[in-house]
Amino acid sequence: MRRSSISAVGSFFNSQSSSEMAGAGKQSSFLFWLQGSKEGYLRKTALRSVPTDWITTQKHEGSVLECHCSLKSQGEDKLVASVDPDFLRGDIEDEDDGICTVCEGNSLVLQYEYHILYSCSYSAPVLYFRAFTLGGKSLTLEEVWSSVHPHFRLHLQNCPLNAITQQEHPLLGQPFFFLHPCRTEEFMRPMLQAAQEQCRPVNYVLSWLSVVGPVLGLDVPLKYSTQLLPEASPSTMEPN
Amino acid sequence: MSENAESPTETQKEEQQPPLDDSTANEEKKKIDVLLKAVGDTPIMKTKKWAVDRGRTVQSLAQFISRFLKLDDGEQLFIYVNQSFAPSPDQEVGVLFDCFSSDGKLVLHYCKSQAWG
Repeated sequence: MRRSSISAVGSFFNSQSSSEMAGAGKQSSFLFWLQGSKEGYLRKTALRSVPTDWITTQKHEGSVLECHCSLKSQGEDKLVASVDPDFLRGDIEDEDDGICTVCEGNSLVLQYEYHILYSCSYSAPVLYFRAFTLGGKSLTLEEVWSSVHPHFRLHLQNCPLNAITQQEHPLLGQPFFFLHPCRTEEFMRPMLQAAQEQCRPVNYVLSWLSVVGPVLGLDVPLKYSTQLLPEASPSTMEPN
Repeated sequence: MSENAESPTETQKEEQQPPLDDSTANEEKKKIDVLLKAVGDTPIMKTKKWAVDRGRTVQSLAQFISRFLKLDDGEQLFIYVNQSFAPSPDQEVGVLFDCFSSDGKLVLHYCKSQAWG
């Protein structure tokens, strides 16, 4: 994504569709809008609980997915304090050697950071993300695959292109993963066509995120879809 | 929600089910009426109206439809509510019904697509 092509991002995210979901730093907003000059993106960090039975446990050392603590997330922006692993193991039944002992609720807590950028080549938003254990270690691509929601995993893995790949963040220059956007138009088409036929506005970012977000554990609260949009909305909802 | 492929039962031909309220609630799980509509070139299900347990998830329903339509492994089924958003796979259909039903039924549009990558 060349810098010159990012100018379209501003207009895309300034449309009513995404402003409804983003607030400039408001804690109550689902997504946070970050902007530098004309460029910008939507961002969200969240703790995500991933069931251990989704994860193919690595038997060798060094896997970040060895579970050392399991705490219910207190809130989106707080880091949960890590628990001394030895203390925790004492309370829990032993599983196999070398594999993390099962935590309460049989789940791992991971920290996810989601960014929504706009791809001019695909004329579509793209979901970038990265994930860490609470200890701060990044997940590898393999571990990221293990944390994809099972409902989507098989289909994603059957794609001719790799649906999830690692890529340099176009604005931050840091390694992120992203969900490949080349077929966005396919799953957005039914919603856009229906909206056109029924002459009602569509919140593009919301609709798009409702499809791709759950793949990576980012569920959009229903309340965003139950809110009625204003009758005569002047702004176009489709990305330019 | 059971793991055995407990299929949603077909509704009767008769039109209106008696409205469910607290006085009629019993041990049995309440079911909600779901109307399935195909989008695009997705095959149309012969039976469109189903009575589904409230606690059933969207994922489970999607799996049922995929099996019913005999979709390939590589084909992802997308389900849309109000034709405006996709519910999360873990969402219970009962909650969707409470929020988005009209005329006593939840209308869901479904579409098959090779939509990733």
